[in-house]
Amino acid sequence: MSGAAKLQQESGSFRVIARGKLNDDRIQGALDLSVSRLRGLRLDAWEQLDDLEALRERAHELRMRVVNDLEGYLAQFTQALEARGGHVHRAATPEEASAIIVRLCQERKATLVAKSKSMATEEIGLNAALEAAGITPVETDLGEYILQLDGTHPVHIIAPAIEKTKEQIAAMFTAIEGREVPAELEALTASARRQLRQVFLDADVGITGCNMAVAETGTITLVTNEGNGRLVSSLPRTHIAVMGMERLVPTLDDLSVILRLLARSATGQRLTSSTTLITGPRRAGELDGPEELHVVVIDNGRTNLLRGRYREMLACIRCGACLNVCPIFRKTGGAAYGPVYSGPMGAVLVPLYVGLGNAPDLPHASSLCGACTEACPVKIPLHELLLDLRRDMVDEGSAPRWERWAFTAWSFAWSTPLGYRLSTRLARLGQPLGAAAGPGKVWGAGRALPQLARRRYRDRPRG
Amino acid sequence: MARVPGVSDVVQLFATCLGDLVFPDAVGDAETLLREAGFRVELPSRQVCCGQPAYNAGHHAAARRVARSFAKAFSRSAPIVLPSGSCTTMVTHYLPELLGVEPYDVWELSAFLDSRGVELPRRNEGRTIAYHDSCHMLRELKVSGEPRRLLERSGATLVELPRADLCCGFGGTFSVRQPEISLSMADDKLGGAKGAGAEFLVTADPGCLMHLDGRVRKVGGVPVVHLATALARGVGAAAADGLAAR
Repeated sequence: MSGAAKLQQESGSFRVIARGKLNDDRIQGALDLSVSRLRGLRLDAWEQLDDLEALRERAHELRMRVVNDLEGYLAQFTQALEARGGHVHRAATPEEASAIIVRLCQERKATLVAKSKSMATEEIGLNAALEAAGITPVETDLGEYILQLDGTHPVHIIAPAIEKTKEQIAAMFTAIEGREVPAELEALTASARRQLRQVFLDADVGITGCNMAVAETGTITLVTNEGNGRLVSSLPRTHIAVMGMERLVPTLDDLSVILRLLARSATGQRLTSSTTLITGPRRAGELDGPEELHVVVIDNGRTNLLRGRYREMLACIRCGACLNVCPIFRKTGGAAYGPVYSGPMGAVLVPLYVGLGNAPDLPHASSLCGACTEACPVKIPLHELLLDLRRDMVDEGSAPRWERWAFTAWSFAWSTPLGYRLSTRLARLGQPLGAAAGPGKVWGAGRALPQLARRRYRDRPRG
Repeated sequence: MARVPGVSDVVQLFATCLGDLVFPDAVGDAETLLREAGFRVELPSRQVCCGQPAYNAGHHAAARRVARSFAKAFSRSAPIVLPSGSCTTMVTHYLPELLGVEPYDVWELSAFLDSRGVELPRRNEGRTIAYHDSCHMLRELKVSGEPRRLLERSGATLVELPRADLCCGFGGTFSVRQPEISLSMADDKLGGAKGAGAEFLVTADPGCLMHLDGRVRKVGGVPVVHLATALARGVGAAAADGLAAR
């Protein structure tokens, strides 16, 4: 069985999941609280940058430089990392990536794997693949750990468990520890620490993501707030980092541009409490660090994006700023978008990875308000890419036939003033029928239908 | 300052389809404001629609077919003014590329009036009003201060909505593709207006107006009024008609 996360979704599933979230007041409260807070923190942090726009431009430019010569930078990165004693593996598919990691674990007779937060490992469905091979992965990021206990998926790429309340988490931890854990942040983190400490010490392999890699030096970067990434990447004898193939910058100097934007845009911090730069495994004479470092570079559809206008999406640095400003995400949370990527970046990315026919709701899961584009630190025109995806759906025939027919008929009628006059006269006559079916019925369920005026403005006497 | 109409003070009014068909009074109010400001208003008779409904749904061929009617209807000799932020955005940002034509001199009504330093009678004296930014005006046209300034010049006391940056949930076809989310967004907006102590919610976009007003007429709430109506007749007059929106 494939361990890959199922990014594909059925038509209509977005609405079904959204409805469930909308009907849950607790989730609505938790979502609004979290995204509003993260948004506010970002805005405050951005305000303190006096060269914000220049920095965003520079970040966009340097990320696009990488995207435009991705194989070149990957080769440079590989060479630099191998010169430092690391190993680079390339995987075209999620299955291939998981298989490489399972094999690396099996060769080292690993039974316990400590993981830090990584959306790339979510994307390849790594945990399921490891479990199928008899290897126990333990998430050590607090949010991811909670979701692993819960058996659910992240609903936000930065704050994976935002739909969970303190009380729910306290109940979970109380059951595990067999003693009362109060629903307070400090008590909860202390409890998680007690539960996870031994995992760090016992794990045979540590698996992390990679926020950004540096081509020039072969460095990988972990941006975390809990310090768990540092433990996962240094205590076990083997460190495996999973990295999307586009997560590169040319130089360390360029990395500083991204780091200045990443934490500020994600959590409003100037830097996260642990920002770890790793260049190769432990060297002779060093006391700390793993004996081996493997970087697994996953494609999983990214190469398809290199063609055409969607390549800008590959500039994404996964900060989550677009999720926090999105009025749709604020209502639905991440689940409606699928198990991995969500919000505006997910709505663009998922259809590109799996094909428009396999995620037909997502390009339309937006009111095109443009808040995402405004919030993106690397200036990806997210809402315009959604518009482009809608056009592609029509062009490649994955838009419903009735919709194409309706817009075509409408456009012929409204291509001339005469056609407009006749069709709107007819529409006025047929107005009572408008609420009976189709979009009129859907509209009318929650809103009064607009009434066509007795006299169009053009037909009124004007002074 | 009083204006003396001259040849250069001709404007072309684009009613827009929603304006022409659903909110003709708001279009009339826009025309009144332009006349009061000293402009000679032309209503080009061949105008239809900018094509935005199809464009935003991804149907570019259909959008182009309709957008061509705009190019045929309007001349480049005088500014084109629209009582609609989203149609203005379509015509300024997307239509020229869609048709392969040069950009037009296009203005959203409040941006136009404000740029010409128009004076307004204080028709909203003593009224407490919240202004709803439509997304296209706020983010694409970057018009947000203008409508507020005009409302204040008309005597209104403005209160800010909580999270004024949030979309009201219309979004064209989004409103019927995801009706539950769309309605919940409308309710947040209307609840915000009520919470802020607004007597009226004013917007410059017929799309937002149709959506929010439709919601109010279904479940009650702060009446929603087009900006042109608020400025030309005062929100009170609009309310007295029993037709807050139209």
